[in-house]
Amino acid sequence: MPIGVYVCHCGLNIAGVLNMEELKRFAESLPDVTVARDLQFSCSDIGQEQIQKDIAEFKLDRVVVAACSPRLHEPTFRRAISKAGLNPYMLEMANIREQCSWVHMDQPAMATEKAKDLIRMGVAKAALLRPLEPESIPVSKYVLVIGGGVAGIAAALDMADAGLHVFLVERRPTIGGYMALLTDVFPTNDCSICVLGPKMSEVFNHPDITLFTYSEVLGVEGSVGNFTVSVIKRARYVDEKLCKGCINECAGVCPVEVPSEYDFGIGKRKAIYIAYPQAVPLAATIDPKACIGCGRCEQACPAQAVRLEQEPEDIKLNVGAIIVATGWQPFDASRKEEYGFGRYRDVITTLQMERMLNASGPTKGDVVAPSTGRIADSIAFLQCVGSRDATVGNPYCSRICCMASLKNAQLVKEKYPETDITIYYIDIRACGEGYEEFYLRAQKLGINFVRSRVSRIEEVDGRLFLIFEDTQTAEIKRVHHDMAVLSVGLEPEKNAEVLGNLLGLSRRPDRFFEIAHPKMRPVEAHIDGVFIAGCASGPKEIPISIAQGSAAAAKAIKLLHKGTLELEPTSAYVDPDKCIKCKLCVDICPKKAISVKSPAYVDEAACKGCGSCAAACPVDAINMRFFSDEQILAQVRAATFEKKESPLIVAFLCNWCSYGAADLAGTSRIQYPTNARNIRVMCSARVDPSFVLEALRRGADGVLIAGCRIGECHYRDGNYQALQRVQVLKGVLEKIGLNPGRVKIVWCAASEGEIYAKDLREFIAELKAMGPVGTELKKLKNNRNEGEA
Amino acid sequence: MKLAYYPGCVSQSTGKEMDASTRAVCTALGIEIEELADWNCCGATHVSNELVATGLAARNMAQTDLPIMTACSICYSNLRAAEERLKEPEVLTKVNAVLDKKYRGAEVRHALDVMLEAMPEGDERIVLPLKGLLVAPYYGCLLTRPAGLYSAEFPVILETLIKRLEAEPVDFRKKTACCGGPIFMPQENAADDIAFGILSEAKRAGAEVIVTVCPLCHLMLDAKQKILEQKKGEKIGIPVLYVTQLVGIALGLGPEELGLFMNTVSPMGIVEKAYERMGNES
Ligand SMILES: Cc1cc2nc3c(=O)[nH]c(=O)nc-3n(C[C@H](O)[C@H](O)[C@H](O)COP(=O)(O)OP(=O)(O)OC[C@H]3O[C@@H](n4cnc5c(N)ncnc54)[C@H](O)[C@@H]3O)c2cc1C
Ligand code: SF4
Repeated sequence: MPIGVYVCHCGLNIAGVLNMEELKRFAESLPDVTVARDLQFSCSDIGQEQIQKDIAEFKLDRVVVAACSPRLHEPTFRRAISKAGLNPYMLEMANIREQCSWVHMDQPAMATEKAKDLIRMGVAKAALLRPLEPESIPVSKYVLVIGGGVAGIAAALDMADAGLHVFLVERRPTIGGYMALLTDVFPTNDCSICVLGPKMSEVFNHPDITLFTYSEVLGVEGSVGNFTVSVIKRARYVDEKLCKGCINECAGVCPVEVPSEYDFGIGKRKAIYIAYPQAVPLAATIDPKACIGCGRCEQACPAQAVRLEQEPEDIKLNVGAIIVATGWQPFDASRKEEYGFGRYRDVITTLQMERMLNASGPTKGDVVAPSTGRIADSIAFLQCVGSRDATVGNPYCSRICCMASLKNAQLVKEKYPETDITIYYIDIRACGEGYEEFYLRAQKLGINFVRSRVSRIEEVDGRLFLIFEDTQTAEIKRVHHDMAVLSVGLEPEKNAEVLGNLLGLSRRPDRFFEIAHPKMRPVEAHIDGVFIAGCASGPKEIPISIAQGSAAAAKAIKLLHKGTLELEPTSAYVDPDKCIKCKLCVDICPKKAISVKSPAYVDEAACKGCGSCAAACPVDAINMRFFSDEQILAQVRAATFEKKESPLIVAFLCNWCSYGAADLAGTSRIQYPTNARNIRVMCSARVDPSFVLEALRRGADGVLIAGCRIGECHYRDGNYQALQRVQVLKGVLEKIGLNPGRVKIVWCAASEGEIYAKDLREFIAELKAMGPVGTELKKLKNNRNEGEA
Repeated sequence: MKLAYYPGCVSQSTGKEMDASTRAVCTALGIEIEELADWNCCGATHVSNELVATGLAARNMAQTDLPIMTACSICYSNLRAAEERLKEPEVLTKVNAVLDKKYRGAEVRHALDVMLEAMPEGDERIVLPLKGLLVAPYYGCLLTRPAGLYSAEFPVILETLIKRLEAEPVDFRKKTACCGGPIFMPQENAADDIAFGILSEAKRAGAEVIVTVCPLCHLMLDAKQKILEQKKGEKIGIPVLYVTQLVGIALGLGPEELGLFMNTVSPMGIVEKAYERMGNES
């Protein structure tokens, strides 16, 4: 097993502090090391060529580069050794710059000793490296979009135009979502269905889109590149292909009338109906809950399209990626009992107002008070109904309702200039391009604004009164309006909850689907190959929903366009003989990559290599192909081989945040003591309690585990899992008589080099106070002896 | 039916008639009540410190395994709120750390719903049906908020009870409004305006009697009624009964037992009227 070690000067960056000659000689003395050199700049062409030459000459089969951070040049050296014919994974780097020479500039001797340990650890790990082949799997070029609102439509069209084939599954009998029901839309007040309608038809006619309306997803299996999805297409009791959409013939004879869900209760429809004239597909549906089975529509249909005996259809789809665009649902205004919605007829919601304003809506565009049927003389809009309200469990701002009320107020005012309109608001949130101008326009039109959260609405002798405190004049007032419009907030679609569970999506406290990172990955789910767009991940207006639909499409295209997917060979794998089928790993895996058939099985396409399962497995049946148990234990043993520090700390740093923070401390030249020997792991959850115990057993005085800040784990909640394990571990230490303070867990973001240094200094001070590991055992023994004597 | 009884501090002072009528009605309806042996404040005196308030309530609730009944809405609200908060493991641990007898969950009930359950429709023990009596059902704020089991704005349980006694609930718009009691100390005038608003609304609705479920409401509407009439220069003259007193009357219990003489605005007029009506009918 010939190993080559290259100690880099990095000009004076490393050589200015560390004793290069000594390091080189030290490396030569290590087991299995065939050749050790110090190089001026190992990343330069000359440096790389030297390594490649040695690989050929000494038949090296693994290489250790002691230089800068692997986060910087690991890809460079992997490429270099693979050019020389080695497997790229046969490389290990010892970080003697960011985490050594740059942070211990005034203690060259101690820093050189630390660098020796880091090299010893690198060589020990290198000896256990195994060649890994990145696997390439064929992927399906079909994509599933769930939800045919404006976000789903945008995603479907972009992908289909780019050559992927799209299956669009929509719960309702028509696509279009809520946008299709709105009147004009802010900030330009153009007619909503006039801009959406053509897109809906385009979806219907696109050769690369297969549309399933009135359908739902019932099951999802597989992982990125190869999902198998079961869909049920409910019976609409009408042959979609034969129906001409004339609707008057069948609905005209249907004897059953029910409130229309597309008019939010203010309009009616028949048991056989089309949601609205622009519906896509333009085909009738029979509502089985309302239908009495009289069969009159069947007789009346000139196209003979009615099929009362139709059965639901099961459909299986194979897709490479899934876009979730299930949207939102309005807050149920009757939950705010103090506003009397559902009791007082003239209290309506903004959605009912949208339908009234709609020229093809139930009132043909007239804004009338429902109790009288007359045009309302004075209208109140109440903001934040069901939003910013802890009493109904919705502390968040719904973001669009200020703008929606400003819009509706303008539309009413333009139509009926004499109408008196007042908007009752907490504060107007109009932030978006052209939004503030839109607000100013409303003010210029003579719309009144009262800063107040209305406390209640009373109906006295059929007249509505609003009771509220005007917070600008500090007066309690009681004011009459003909009509009160509740600006209802946006809640996550209830019908998407099951779907979320099927896909393993997580939810934020506001119950919307959580995206992989709140800033950097706005349309990706935690699950690979699944994307989220539009209001499914939180309230947003149409332009942003469309932008997200297109962004999700771009991500899916990037993922699938090549037809193959290269998998990082860093996944977990199970030893089937050891597995006891406890299923602990299934629950823990943030990527839902593990299933326990018989025994546990890791879907390597879904696994992202965090290693939490390997740490959790009670019988060590799971191991990692990269960052294996043996490799990490070898590093621990090398770090404690010769104890040159007091206290000596073995530190496990997660690749994403805390290792980044330690690197940043280096680039910022933050100085701290040399006591820690760092081991890089992918996630703090990778740290198996046995690593910690091994470190302490071999003489480390303390073990530090550092992860991303709580809530910022790059996998999902690995840092919580690490925290739980540390708490259990502290209990174990206490039982065996060690101070539980010897293991410490800290959080730092990659931007927090200073915090990493501070945490380390504090830990050193704490360990100094405890004395060397084992001190407490001796004390315990002495106390016992005294007790016996 | 057997319940633990939590009287609350008001039962020892301004709300003696609430306590007396509760005990009398329970006896008459065969509801067995066992007073908590060592009860303390429900938490109302420490509402500004949620943890202390919860702790006080928990100490009461930990004393029994029976459902706990109280006739006071303030106590009801505090015990219920504590019951909800104690579902959080963190709060439970903190509270139990200082309790001798540990809290292990509880069921809290208001006398109102206990009586309703014990008195089925057409119950023969209702010997004096209050036919034609116009009653304003006044819930006040705390029975339904923040942790009540009824609709916060449009509860109907009092109306149901009133109808069961064959009396007639009036359409009383301010039924769930606050009585003004909680701001009586710092803002006396504002509190008076509120209380008077409720009394005038009862008058407008044509009520012959107002029924309350809370001693603070009772204080504001009954004990202060004469002062308010003087201050506002308008006669109200409507007696205000605890719901237990109203039920007691219908069950034929005596005025002494029900503490009717302790009320400021005498309810004896309506009692006599009820007997008269019954006499005329038979
Ligand atoms: C009163 C009001 C006025 C508004 N006015 C404007 C405006 O003027 N301008 C503006 O920019 N924005 C406006 N909005 C916001 C706008 O409605 C949203 O931005 C838009 O609807 C978001 O589209 P979406 O595709 O994300 O969701 P949705 O429109 O909700 O579409 C989601 C689709 O998914 C389907 N679905 C749900 N669950 C499933 C499932 N499990 N399986 C299959 N399909 C499913 C639904 O049936 C629906 O068709 C307004 C909102 C309100 C409340
Ligand atoms: S957008 Fe306006 S109305 Fe809607 S929740 Fe936010 S502040 Fe309230």
